Amino acid sequence: MRHQREDKHEAVTRRDFLKGAAYGTLGVAMGLNLSCSGSNGGTAVGFDPVSMAKSLFQAENPLAQVVLVRNEAAVDSNHVVNAKVVGEMLDAAMKTFTGENDVAKAWQRYFRPQDTVGIKFTRCSYHRIHVDQAVIDAITARLAASGVSKERVHANDYGVPVKECTALINVPTIKVHSLTGIAVSLKNYINFTGRESSYHHDGSVKLGEAWLLPEVKGKTRLIIVDALRPYFGPGPQINPLHQWDYKGILVGTDPVAIDTVCLRLCQTKRNLFKGEEWVITPPPKSIAAADTQYHLGTSDPLKIKVVRLGWDKDALV
Amino acid sequence: MTPAIRGTGNLARRLILMTLIALGGLAQNAARGDETMPQLLPKNVAGWSAAGEDKVFTRNNIFEYMDGAGEIYLAYDFQRLLVREYMKWSAPRLVAEVYQMASSEDAYGIFSHDRDGQEILLGQGAIYGAGLLRFWKGRFFVRLQAESESEQVKQALLALGKKIVEAVPQNGKKPPLLAALPREGLIKESIHFFHTPVSLNVHYYLADSNVLNLSAKTDVALARYERDKRKMRLLLCRYKTPGEAEAAFEQFNKIYFHDRAAKTPMFRVEKVEKGEFVGAQCMGSSVILVFEAADRASCEWLSKLVAARVKGVSR
Repeated sequence: MRHQREDKHEAVTRRDFLKGAAYGTLGVAMGLNLSCSGSNGGTAVGFDPVSMAKSLFQAENPLAQVVLVRNEAAVDSNHVVNAKVVGEMLDAAMKTFTGENDVAKAWQRYFRPQDTVGIKFTRCSYHRIHVDQAVIDAITARLAASGVSKERVHANDYGVPVKECTALINVPTIKVHSLTGIAVSLKNYINFTGRESSYHHDGSVKLGEAWLLPEVKGKTRLIIVDALRPYFGPGPQINPLHQWDYKGILVGTDPVAIDTVCLRLCQTKRNLFKGEEWVITPPPKSIAAADTQYHLGTSDPLKIKVVRLGWDKDALV
Repeated sequence: MTPAIRGTGNLARRLILMTLIALGGLAQNAARGDETMPQLLPKNVAGWSAAGEDKVFTRNNIFEYMDGAGEIYLAYDFQRLLVREYMKWSAPRLVAEVYQMASSEDAYGIFSHDRDGQEILLGQGAIYGAGLLRFWKGRFFVRLQAESESEQVKQALLALGKKIVEAVPQNGKKPPLLAALPREGLIKESIHFFHTPVSLNVHYYLADSNVLNLSAKTDVALARYERDKRKMRLLLCRYKTPGEAEAAFEQFNKIYFHDRAAKTPMFRVEKVEKGEFVGAQCMGSSVILVFEAADRASCEWLSKLVAARVKGVSR
């Protein structure tokens, strides 16, 4: 319930969020509305964030499907990424996502030789949570193998010629963010607005606008998330204790569903790190708004299906 | 003593005097943290050497260094940032960031932003973990980070930290508001000190609006307490005047408790979602809020402890 203030402005509070009366199903995705969530400092009997997370994202007739592939060999003990393994992970994810047995055919479902493809990845030098080059290389190689010439592929963070592009691949990392709540695929397009800082206020609730810009709208064919080493800390600066080798890649087409899955992943990891509920703040309103206001996809974890492939240890979602 | 020797003595005295004046000026500048900030950082440490040009950022261009992250520093009275990199052959790069704040209270405040890591003895407070060393002293908050961690890297970071601590001549005082935090049941590493809703939102989401009228002029302490193995959260806000505190308290009651009463009680405890209890109290220039208490008694216990201490705390 929203309280109507005397000045006629609506004020959403923590109470509204906790009882699921604000921001749609975000609270469910984060595990805040589950009866055994143990919000009181994590001291409630039976606090088990992993089992709670596994009850979500198992829709039988999903509105959105997300493929998660993990491989223990993707990142070594020195946090070095194995490019060959990353390529194999991407192939496995694409085959499962499309139902094709052949990798090239899987990619041809989304891209034609005459397409001009923009690969929008995340490379934030300050945060140092950026897409690994192995992921970018694997994508460009598979585009080439499926018939899209190198000249027609533009991979960049800033500077993707989005107006020229007929197709986009959104390639973000996963990063809990002190202003946005979480930064994954929705936030990855913030550069396209040319007004990045203006989107940071009010929990970045308007991030969905970037997806509806005339030069962007309808062009995103695939979302490939680098989940090799996500970041779950509060930020804004990197504390290495808050980054972990998850060794995963996610593939999907629904940015809201993708971000919701990643939100749950980071929320669960935070709970495990502290041994109690450590709620991501501020609430990632951009996800809820992308669902209900901008209609970019679904944030309801009961309408999303996550298909897990490969290494299952500590998958968390 | 011959005149020649006397002359040498005068010269020596003059040199000593000039040196003392120069050192005094250096110490003053270091205390102010102005353009002599680079002198807080050594050229070399443990085999690593300064590489490339130092970078300096102010409130006007901090976003050039940390796009999308500068808001957290601007929420404090951040003045200037000095960045220097250190290189060593076949070793990870080290990055030193020295943040000059307007006050030691704010240096402590930004230090308290993220407290995950192992507490160590350095400066006026330090935390180390996985190749990241953070500490504060005087008006400076310092982050020293390595690209990757090893025992050698850790020792280099600690040595660098020690040199910086030695170069900052004076300690600074902690925020006086911290004295109002009761020691009983306090989880020390949970303390955060800040001013604005931007910081509050990072640590604890309360509402979309600025429900407590927080601003750069407000001092806020957030901390967790444990009683009977159950944790709760204290939010203590200190305003400039009792009138500001009362206005914030009234607004909080209206928005958070949906209170429409003409007169707001100055102390209340309410049961809210998930069976948790929330306490709210206005006392002088302070608003005392307790969240996530397991029962009414715990809520009242912490509220009363804080109220007893708040009276004696100056701004």
